[in-house]
Amino acid sequence: MTTVPARLPLVRRSDRFIAGVCSGLAAHLGVPVVHVRVAMVLASLAGGAGVVFYAWLWIMVPTADESARRQARRPSSPIAPAVSRDTVPAAVPWAAAPAGGGIAAPSMPDGGLRTDTASPRGLGYPALGDAAASVSEPVRPPWFRFREMRYSKEILLGAGLLLVAGILIAQLLGVDVPLGTLIPAAAVLGGASIAWMQLDETRRAGLVDKTKADQAGGWARLAAGLALVVAGVLVMVSGSGSWEQTWLALLASVAVLGGVVLVLLPWALKFWRDLEAERAGRIRETERAEIAAHLHDSVLQTLALIQRRAASEHDVVRLARAQERELRGWLFADPGKDAGQLSDRIKAVAAEVEDLLGNAVEVVCVGDTAVTEGHEALIQASREAMLNASRHGGGTVSVYLEASGGRAEVFIKDRGPGFDLQHVPEDRLGVRESIIGRMNRHGGTAAITSSSEGTEVRLGFPAAPQDSTEGKP
Amino acid sequence: MNTTQGPGSDPAARSARVVIVDDHAIFRSGLKADLDPSIHVVGEAATVEQAIAVIAQQRPDVVLLDVHLPGGLGGGGREVIAGSAALLHATKFLALSVSDAAEDVVAVIRAGARGYVTKTISGAEITDAVYRVAGGDAVFSPRLAGFVLDAFGTAPADIADDELDRLSARELEVMRLIARGYSYKEVAKELFISIKTVETHVSAVLRKLQLSSRHELTKWAAERRLL
Repeated sequence: MTTVPARLPLVRRSDRFIAGVCSGLAAHLGVPVVHVRVAMVLASLAGGAGVVFYAWLWIMVPTADESARRQARRPSSPIAPAVSRDTVPAAVPWAAAPAGGGIAAPSMPDGGLRTDTASPRGLGYPALGDAAASVSEPVRPPWFRFREMRYSKEILLGAGLLLVAGILIAQLLGVDVPLGTLIPAAAVLGGASIAWMQLDETRRAGLVDKTKADQAGGWARLAAGLALVVAGVLVMVSGSGSWEQTWLALLASVAVLGGVVLVLLPWALKFWRDLEAERAGRIRETERAEIAAHLHDSVLQTLALIQRRAASEHDVVRLARAQERELRGWLFADPGKDAGQLSDRIKAVAAEVEDLLGNAVEVVCVGDTAVTEGHEALIQASREAMLNASRHGGGTVSVYLEASGGRAEVFIKDRGPGFDLQHVPEDRLGVRESIIGRMNRHGGTAAITSSSEGTEVRLGFPAAPQDSTEGKP
Repeated sequence: MNTTQGPGSDPAARSARVVIVDDHAIFRSGLKADLDPSIHVVGEAATVEQAIAVIAQQRPDVVLLDVHLPGGLGGGGREVIAGSAALLHATKFLALSVSDAAEDVVAVIRAGARGYVTKTISGAEITDAVYRVAGGDAVFSPRLAGFVLDAFGTAPADIADDELDRLSARELEVMRLIARGYSYKEVAKELFISIKTVETHVSAVLRKLQLSSRHELTKWAAERRLL
C-alpha cells in the first residue's frame, strides 16, 4: 500500500484497444505501451496464456475513474454520489439518507463480490466500467452510465470470453465436451446474477426519479440481456456439440435461470418496498418541514405581534384578520386555478382596504373571468367603493362579485348611516369621479343606493366585445 | 314546516335549549358567553361520540355543530347529524365552521343541517340564527349563498327538467341578495315580499341543496375540495 509515489496505480486506462489493460499495465510499469502489447500478443500465442492473463487483469483491475471515485471520500450512502450528481432535484434528499446506505452497503462486505463501486472486480463488470470511461463524462451519474453502455452486450462479451477460456482449458486437459452442458449453465447463472445485482444497486438510485415507463424499459433491457446471454451460450454449445446436448443445455439453462429468479426475486421486491417506504417518508418529511417553515414565518410572527399590541383592540383584530386571510389563502388555494383572475384581484383589493382601515371586508365570489383592460376600471372603482364603505360605514363591508360569460358585477354594501348623493359637495370627487365617472368612461355602469340603514354601490361591466369603448367620452 | 310559529316569531317570549359541539373548549366557553341569556346551553360535547350521546339525552332545540370534529369514523359534524337522524324532526342543526371549503359546507348541509355560519360572526347574529333555525327556517350566510349560486348556476330555470335541479328566478334573486350581504328583512324590502316569503324561498333552496341528485352538484363539490 505504501508504494513508491512515482509508480502509478494499476488501473485500466481509457486509451485502449480492448479493455485498456495493456496501457494501464504500461503506465504502471513505466514501459512503453507498444512493448506491453507485443508481449501480450506473443504470450497469447504461447498456448493462450496471454489471453488468460489479459482476461484476468480485465476482471481484476478497476478502470481509472472507478478507482478515482473510490479514492474520493464516499458518503455513507452508496446512492448518494449517484443522486447528488443528478440534476433532478427530487433525488437530492437521498444524499442525506442514512437509511439508503443501511440497505445496500452492510449486506455487501468489502472485498469479494461487492456490488457498489468495488463491483467492477466482479465477473463481467470490468467491461462495463471501461466502456463508461470512454463513453461518458466522469460527471455522469453512475446509474445513467449504466443505462447508456448496453450492458447486455458487455455481459455477453465477458461471458463469451470466459467460455472460450474454459473450453480451451478443457481441451488442453483432454476432457470431452460433456463439460459443455455445465459451462453454459454456469455462464448463464453468472450473467443472470450479475444483471440482478446491478439492478439492485444501480436501479435503486435510478428508481428515485425515473417514471414507471422507464422502469418498463429497464426491465425490457434486462430481459433482452438475459436472452442474449442464453442465445450466445446456445450458439456456442450447438457449434461444439450435438443437438441433444444443446437441448440438454437449454433445459439446464432454463432451470438455472428459473432458480436464479426464484432466489433473487424476494430480494428485489424487498428493495423495491424499502425504496417506496423511504420515498414516502421523505415526502412526508419535506411536507412537514414546509408547513413548519410557513407557520413559523406567518402565524408565530403574527402571534408575537398580537401579544405586543394586546392593548389596542383595533390592531389585534387587524392582525388577526390579515393572518387569517393569509392562512386561508395558503390552506385552501387551488393550485390548478389560474392566478390573476378577476376574483383574485377583487380579493386582493379587499385585503388592502381591510389592512388600511381595519374593518372586515367579506368577499363572496360567484364565477370568475380573466382580467381584461376594461376590468381594471372596475377593480379601481370597487376599491374606491370599499374604501368609502369601510370609512363611512364603520363596520363589516360585504362585497359580492358575480362574473359569467365575461360580464362582471360587483356589489359593495355597508351598514353605515348612508348619505345622499345629491348633497355631496361638487368638489368631492371620491364618489362622483372615482366610481361613477370612471365606470361610465370605460363603458360600465355604476349605481348607488343609500338609506339610513346602509349604502350599496353596484358596479356592472359588460362582456368583452364592448371593452374597446375605453376612453369614450 | 317553514311557516310554523316557531320560537323565533315572538321575540319577547323566545327561548331555546342548545347543545354546543366543538372540540375547542375555548371556543365553546366563548360562544356560551356570547349567546343571548334567553338561550340555555344544556350540554357540550367535544367528539362525535359525546355529541351523539349528549344530543340523544338532552334533545335540544338547536345543536351548534362544528364541521370538523375528532372521533367517530372521521366524518365530523356530518356523522353527528347522521347519528342523530331519529331526532331530526325536533332537533335542528346549525353548522359552524372556520372552513371555507365548499365540500365541508355542502356535505354538512346535505347531511341535514339547517344552516351554516362562520365562527367569526357576532353573538347577536348567532343568537338570531339559533332562533331562526329553531323556528324551522334556514340560515344562509353570504358565503353559503355564494356556494349555492356557484353550484346551481346563476341562470334562472326556464324549463327545469327536474324541479330540484334548478333554482327559480325568485330563489336566485333571494340568493343573490343574501350573497350581497342583505339580511332577510332587507331582502323582503328589496323584493317587496314578506319576510315569511323570503324564509320560504330560502328553505326551498336548502331543500334543493339537500335533495338534489344533480350530478353537477356532486361533481362541483368534489372539484372544490381545495377551494
